[in-house]
Amino acid sequence: MAAHLSSGRVNLNILREAARKELRVFLDKCAGSKAIVWDEYLTGPFGLIAQYSLLKEHEVEKMFTLKSGRVPPADVKNVIFFVRPRLELMDIIVDNVFSEDKLHSSRDFHILFVPRRSLLCEQRLKEQGVLGSFVNIEEYILDLIPCDSDLLSMEYESAFRECYLENDQTSLYHTAKGLINLQALYGTIPQIYGKGECARHVANMMLRMKREFAGSQNQILPVFDSLLLLDRNVDLLTPLATQLTYEGLIDEIYGITNGYVKLPPEKFAEKKQGEGSKDLLTERKKLQLNSAEELYAEIRDKNFNAVGAALSKKAKIISAAFEERHNAKTVVEIKQFVSQLPHMQAARSSLANHTSIAELIKEITTSEAFFDNLTVEQEFMTGIDTDKVNTYIEDRIAQKEKLTKILRLMCMQSVCNNGLKQKVLDYYKREIFQAYGYEHMLTLNNLEKMGLFKPQTSSRNNYPTIRKTLKLWMEDANEQNPNDISYVYSGYAPLSIRLTQLLARPGWRSIEEVLKMLPGPHFEERQQLPGGLHKKRHQGENRTTLVFFLGGVTYAEIAALRFLSQMEDGGMEYVIATTKLINGTSWIGSLMDHPASKAP
Amino acid sequence: YYVSASYREKRMDIRLSLLQSAVDEYNKAKNDFAAKATEDEMRLLRFQRKLDEDKATELLGLSLQATMEALLALGFHKQAEQLYRDFKVPEKRYWWLKLKSLAKKEEWEELEKF
Repeated sequence: MAAHLSSGRVNLNILREAARKELRVFLDKCAGSKAIVWDEYLTGPFGLIAQYSLLKEHEVEKMFTLKSGRVPPADVKNVIFFVRPRLELMDIIVDNVFSEDKLHSSRDFHILFVPRRSLLCEQRLKEQGVLGSFVNIEEYILDLIPCDSDLLSMEYESAFRECYLENDQTSLYHTAKGLINLQALYGTIPQIYGKGECARHVANMMLRMKREFAGSQNQILPVFDSLLLLDRNVDLLTPLATQLTYEGLIDEIYGITNGYVKLPPEKFAEKKQGEGSKDLLTERKKLQLNSAEELYAEIRDKNFNAVGAALSKKAKIISAAFEERHNAKTVVEIKQFVSQLPHMQAARSSLANHTSIAELIKEITTSEAFFDNLTVEQEFMTGIDTDKVNTYIEDRIAQKEKLTKILRLMCMQSVCNNGLKQKVLDYYKREIFQAYGYEHMLTLNNLEKMGLFKPQTSSRNNYPTIRKTLKLWMEDANEQNPNDISYVYSGYAPLSIRLTQLLARPGWRSIEEVLKMLPGPHFEERQQLPGGLHKKRHQGENRTTLVFFLGGVTYAEIAALRFLSQMEDGGMEYVIATTKLINGTSWIGSLMDHPASKAP
Repeated sequence: YYVSASYREKRMDIRLSLLQSAVDEYNKAKNDFAAKATEDEMRLLRFQRKLDEDKATELLGLSLQATMEALLALGFHKQAEQLYRDFKVPEKRYWWLKLKSLAKKEEWEELEKF
C-alpha cells in the first residue's frame, strides 16, 4: 500500500510505521466501539499515515467532522476528538459535550491532540467545566509526515506566517522535535548546516534537546550524513516565480493537497460512459499523485515542454507491448503475456490520465495571458526595468486580475530590485486600494514586514550581484535534456537550490560574500557520534543530505533537488523535508488578511 | 489596531471615527502615505453613504473601482466622473472601465462620443 515510501534512498516507511503504531496504541486504549470526530484540517495529513481500513480494524465505526451542536447519533461507546490545539476548536468540543450530556448518554469522551497537547486548551476545557468528562487526553505526535519516497512535510500551513510575521516560534519547536524523532529512527545526523534566523533557532533547540538526553546514546548507524536547514526568507524570490515543471504546473493551476489533485471532469468524462450517471460529470476527478505510479515518477519533474515527448514515447512502448500478443505462439508465451496484462493495463490508464492532464495544462500554458505573465517574470528576474511602474501590472489591475497574481508580480519586482522606490511603491499601493479596496492595507503591511514588498532602503541593489555570483539566470536552459537545475523555471535557477548545490561542492566558504547579503546567519554544527558508528564509506557510495525548508518549499525546487541527486558526478543524494508544500499563490494567500470577512 | 477594528464595526459613524483614529496614529508614526490612503477611504465611505441615501443605491463598502463600475452600470455617469477626478484615478484604468461598461450595455452612441 505504501510501496512508494520504501523505494527511495532512505526507507521512509519506517517513519510511517512508527506513526501507525502509535495511533494503534492510542485507539486500543479506548476499549469498545468508537466514533472519531475530526478536525477537518487533519483528515488530509492523516490519510497519508493511515487509511480507513486501519481505523476499522480498531473498531472505529463512524467518522464525523467537528462542528458545533450535537455529535450525530451513532451506536458507539467512545467518542474521540482528533483536533489541533486551538482554542476555537475547544469551544466547539465543549458545545458537543454539553448537548450530549443533556441526553444522559453514557458515552466516553477522549481527546487526541495533534501534534501536541496544550495547557491553554486544557485550561479552557476546565473553565467550561468539561475537562472531567474526558477519559483520555493524549497527544499524537505527528510532525514529519512522509509524502513520498524522498519527501517529508509537516503540512503546517501557517508556519511561514507565524515564524516571520507573528514571531511565533511554535512551528520551529515542532520542527526541532520532529527532527529529534527522526534521529531516533534513523540515527544521529553528524553534520548540521544552516542559513537564516529560524534555522539557527531550530539547530539550537535540537542541540539543547539532545543534551537533555545525554544519558542515552543513539546506537543506530546514521542514515543521513548531513542536515541543511534553510529559511524560506533567505530565498523569497523562488516561490513567487511560476513553476514550469509538470508537477509544479499541476500545483499552480489546480493545487495539490496532501498528494491529491482535483481536476475538472470534462476530459475524463468519456471513461465513465458505462455508468451513465450525470452527477458524475459534475464531480471533480480526484487523483493521487506520487512516485508509486511509474509514469508519473518519470515525468513529474520534467520541464513541461519535455512532457509531451515523454508521453508519446511511452505511448509507443505500451502499444508495442500490446502488439506482442501476436507474436505469442506457445502456451508458455501466452501465459507470460497474460501475467503481464494487469501491469500493462495500469500503465495504459495512467498514460491516458496524464495525457489528459497534460492537454488541460497545455491549454493554459499556450494562452497569451500565461505567456505575457511569464515574460514579465523573466524580465524582472533578469533585472530589466525593475525600478519603475510596470505597465503590464497596471493593465492587469485595470482588468481586475486576481489579487494574488498581482501581488505575486509586485513582490517579485520588489525582491528583484531590493525594494522599490517610495514613489513606485505608493503608486502600486494606491492602485490596489482603489481597485480592490482599502481593506488590503493590512495585507500590504504584512508583505512589507516580510520584506516582500518594501521601500528601497539603501541605494545599492544586491540582487544583480547575487544573481551573477550564484548563476541564477542561465540563458541556454535545456528543457529537454537538462544539464542544470535552471531548467525547472526555464532559465531561473532557484536560489535555495543553488545554495544547497554549492554547499556540497565546493562548500560555502567560496561564496561568503553573497551569503552575507542574504538575511540571517549561516552556521555549521557537529553532533558527536558514539564510537564505532562512523560510517565506513565504500568506493563510489553517495552521501545523503536532508534538506529542511523552514516555511515551505515548491514542487519545482523539489524537482531541482531530485535532478541534483541523479547527477552522476554529484555524489550527493537529497531527501527533502519542509513545513508545507507551497506555491506562490497559496503562499501569498497565507499572508493575506481579510478583515471584511471577519465581520459579524 | 484601528483598521481591522473598523471592519468589525457595522455602524457607519463608529467606523468612520475608528478610521479617524487610524489616521491620527499614522500621522503620529509619520506614515503620510497610509494616513492619506485612510482619509481617502473615509471620503469614499461618506460619498457612498450619501449616494445610497439619495439614490437608494447599494454602494457602501465597495472599492473605488467597483463603485465607479456600479455607477456606470446604473447610468450615473456624472457621479462616476466626479470620483474619477476627486481620487485622481489613472486615466488608463478609468477608460478601460468606461469602455467595458458601455460595451456591456451596448450604448454604442455614448461610445462614439469619445
